[in-house]
Formats: sequence, C-alpha cells, structure tokens
Amino acid sequence: MVVGYSAIVGDRLVAVVTSIGCTGLVVTAVALLGRWTAFLPWGFVGVGAGYALFLSLRPGAVDAGAPLLAAAFFIGAEFCFWSIERRSWRSERQVIVHRLALLFSAGLAAAIVGGLLLLVTSGRDIGIGYEAAGTAAAVLTLAVIALLVRRSRGLVHPPRRGG
Amino acid sequence: MTRTASPKLGAYAGLAALGLLAALVLGLPELVLLAAPFALVAALGTLQVRAPRIDVEVELDRERALEGELVDVWIRFGAGNGVEQIDVLLGLPPGLEVEEGTNPSTLRLDAGEERVLPLQLRCVRWGAFDVGKVHLRSHDSFGLFRHETVIDRRRPLKVYPAEESVRTLLRPSETQVFSGNHVARQKAEGIEFADIRQFVVGDRIKHVNWRATARRGELWVNEHHAERNADVVIFLDAFAEARRGGRSTLDPALRAAASLAARYLRQRDRVGFVSFGGTLNWLLPSTGARQLYRIVDAMLDTQIILSYAWRNLVVIPRRTLPPQALVVALTPLLDDRAANALLDLRARGFDLVVIEVSPLDLVGTMRGAKREIAYRLWRLRRDAVRGRFERAGVPVAVWNDDSSFAVAMEEVDAFRRHARTAPV
Repeated sequence: MVVGYSAIVGDRLVAVVTSIGCTGLVVTAVALLGRWTAFLPWGFVGVGAGYALFLSLRPGAVDAGAPLLAAAFFIGAEFCFWSIERRSWRSERQVIVHRLALLFSAGLAAAIVGGLLLLVTSGRDIGIGYEAAGTAAAVLTLAVIALLVRRSRGLVHPPRRGG
Repeated sequence: MTRTASPKLGAYAGLAALGLLAALVLGLPELVLLAAPFALVAALGTLQVRAPRIDVEVELDRERALEGELVDVWIRFGAGNGVEQIDVLLGLPPGLEVEEGTNPSTLRLDAGEERVLPLQLRCVRWGAFDVGKVHLRSHDSFGLFRHETVIDRRRPLKVYPAEESVRTLLRPSETQVFSGNHVARQKAEGIEFADIRQFVVGDRIKHVNWRATARRGELWVNEHHAERNADVVIFLDAFAEARRGGRSTLDPALRAAASLAARYLRQRDRVGFVSFGGTLNWLLPSTGARQLYRIVDAMLDTQIILSYAWRNLVVIPRRTLPPQALVVALTPLLDDRAANALLDLRARGFDLVVIEVSPLDLVGTMRGAKREIAYRLWRLRRDAVRGRFERAGVPVAVWNDDSSFAVAMEEVDAFRRHARTAPV
C-alpha cells in the first residue's frame, strides 16, 4: 500500500521511488518465503526508504495520507511477523480472533492518533522551540526503547522445576 | 520459567529508531508517524512483560491399559493471572499417539479462568510409560516476549501387550506335586482312570472295581492318575530383535508370552518368566492373578540391550529355573548366545519348546548378487541352528506373518506327540 501510494501520488523520480519500494517488497517476500526473521526488517526499511524519498521530493505541506499509511505499514509488519512464526499446529479460534482484533485496534489507534497529531501540528508555525522539543522527544523515546530492550533481554530467569 | 525476547522486539526497536532518526535528519514529520506504532508497541510490550502464573495438573482416566486401547488425558489449567497466548505440548513417549485432540495446541487463558484440555491417546505399543511432562510457552499480546517452562506432573501408565490367540496349551511331560489340571503319569488320588490292581489293606471301598471283582472272584480296585499342576517357564530371548518401521520380533513374542502366562495361570500351573539378553531377569514360578501382574510388569521392563560383555554366556543359573519345568522359549534365533543357552537347558533335562518368531518378514528385498548371497547364507545358518535344536529333540515351530501363534503352538504340540525324545 505504501509503495503503491508513493508511485501513484508522486510526480518526481517516480521510477526511483517505486524501485526502492519494490526492492523492499522483494526483500520482505524473500524473507517470508525463507522464514528468515532477521532478514524481514530490512524489507520494511526498503519500503520506508521509498516512502521517505517520495516525501523528500514532494513539495508543499505535510502528507495527509501519512496516518493511514502508518497504520497500514504497521498492520502489514504485524502480519508478516505473524506468518513467519514457526508453528505447525492450529491455534484455538479464540486466540486468532483476539489477536486480529488487537491488531486492527492498534492499527486504528495509530491512524487516529497520527491524524490528530497532524491536525494539531499542521496549523501552527514551527519555531525553534518546537523543533528542539520534538528532537528531544525523539531522542528520549529512542533512549527509553533502547534501555527497555536492553533490560528485558538481560532478564533471563533460570529454569524452575514444577512451574 | 525462562524468559526470552523474540527477534520481533529487536526489529521493532530498530525500525522505530531508524524512523525517528530519519525524521529528525530529513525533517519529515510523516516518518515519525510511520515509526511511532513500532516504538509504542516495543515500549508498552517491554513495560508490561510479566511472567505468567500457571498451575497445571495432568489426569489420566486409568493407570493400566491394553495395547491398542484408548486412554483419556486431561490437562487442567488452574486459575492464574491470564495468558494472551500459550502453547501447550504434552510430551509423549514413542508408544503413545494422540488419537483425538491437538498436541501441541495454542490457547488463551483469561485471568482466573480454569480450563481443561482433553486429549485421547492411543496405546500403540506395550510398555511402562510416564505421561504428564507438559511443556509450556507463553507469548505476550504482540509476541515480543516468551516465557518457557516444563511442568512435571507425570503419572504412570502401564500398557500391557494385547493377547495372541492360543487354542491349545502344551502339556508338560512332568508334573509337580500340587493339584492342578494336568493328568499326571503317577498314580494317585484323581479322576482319570489309570489301571486296576488287586485290593490291598488300606484301599478304600469306593475304589473297588465290582465288575472285575465279580469276574475274578477276589477284590480288585481302580487306580487313577493324579491331577497335578506343572511348572512352566516362559523364556524370552532379549539379546537381539529385528525391527522394521513399527514392527519388530520382540512385540509379538511379548504378546505371546503374556497370553501363555495368562492361560497357564488360569489352569492353576505355576508360571515363571526369564528374560535373557543384555541382562538376565527372572521371576520364580508361582500361581495366581498376582503372579500374572508380576510377569506382565517384568515383561514391560524387557528391552533389547546390546551387550557384548557376556560374549560366552550360555548358562542360565540353576536357581532361576525349577527342575522338571516346561520351558517355552520365544526367540527370533538371531543371537547364538540365546540358542546355546537353550541347548544347555535341554542338556540339563528341561522339557524345552522353541517358538521361533521369524525375522524374515522384516528383512527387505535383497538387491545385488552379494546381498543375495549373504541373505542365503544367513538363512542357511538359521536352518543349521534349527537343526541343532531338532537333533536335541527340541521342537521348533516358525511363527511368521503367514501363520498365527496358535498354528505354531499346534505344530509344536504335534511334534511332541509323535516324536520320540532324542538322547541327549
């Protein structure tokens, strides 16, 4: 969806944008077929890179379709990881229904929150203060994620018999 | 409980970082929106991660079953703190298969919810099993972390071998002193008529043969054969087995041994069991239902243990076999040690019968001249071993796929009725 949107809406260097996006799709497809989990994010990076190039070539205001694309991108990524899970048996219907509901809720929330953010920020003049605050928020977010991931990976409890 | 982060967590964190950095560097706020869901899921998933509290019990509907029967198993999940997704695998030994139900399976458990996961197992092969090792792997909502544990709630399950049809039992040539169903050679109190003789002081009036007395003018009495029991020892050759797929020579031998033990015990004989292989296990003869369980339990422990330690072992210790016992040997005749041990028993005067559980049906087709020659030599060698038994007056019946165990028993019985015992 992201690649298609960039190709249809874009008007400059469409071929380059599309080819970068398609490369990402091919990498994703290969990773899915080969069940290479480590390879999969690189496909998403390719798709994202195509979209980033489309955005940087695009003149004018913020892309209004970004919240929807973000939601679609996230749902697509979730489906890819779901399909790559090594499981040869069928899950209970309740598990699948709950997971699908959670997935679409998360996608919907991402679209709504993204839309609201765009609505709030698009009407304002961006000053140096806002830019600094945004940069700080982004860096803080990255730091928090890195810290949490590091902590959670380090937390390995020894096996305990009998549950 | 072991916690591991899935590769997805690293991927999401990386995508979020890359998206936010690109948004900063390129000044594109849209990329923040693209990266934000990944960042949020990674952050929330990491903050919310907790080890699930799961209480599992395993129940079996019974502890004993026959080969081929179905056994119900229930995996009970007690009220815990809820799990979004949990993979449940009940560890099963090779002799048990899932007939109904899903193993492994994936469930969702709400907080405080109690669940029962029913499974129906088919007992494919005899043996003593422990069922109830449950492997659990839980996942969080977005599959970023998994917790793994093994809960040991093992319960014993004994699968007894199915019965082979036995029409006639072999009559032992010697009987013991206790009463039973065999007509003994010795004359004593009994029902079967044996002979008549002159009355002597002490004879009971009820034994007087009045017709003979009237004819000869003096008292004559009837003599009877005593009804005695016999000692039967079932000998199982566990030195080697031929196996192909799910079939082996040991399985039918064990079924036949169990059937013979049950039938002989039913007619009040004393039955013993000797399993001779990598190790020597024996059970001294006794009677009754308890002995049957003892024998079958001993059989369940029988396994083929390759051993070269006793390369020259041909003698079974004297105490393991009662004198004048009928020894019914079930052997694939694959190992010379078993054949030599049996011939030694014959030399010691035991009444020996050999049922050969033929491994020929389990041998694949021989392709190539060398293999064919090797196969023919092997068969000739087997014939030679069989010949050694026959020269020693031991009947050998071949039990293969074309005939039933009852036919093999009939064959042995016919040999014993018509052949004279060879001098040993």
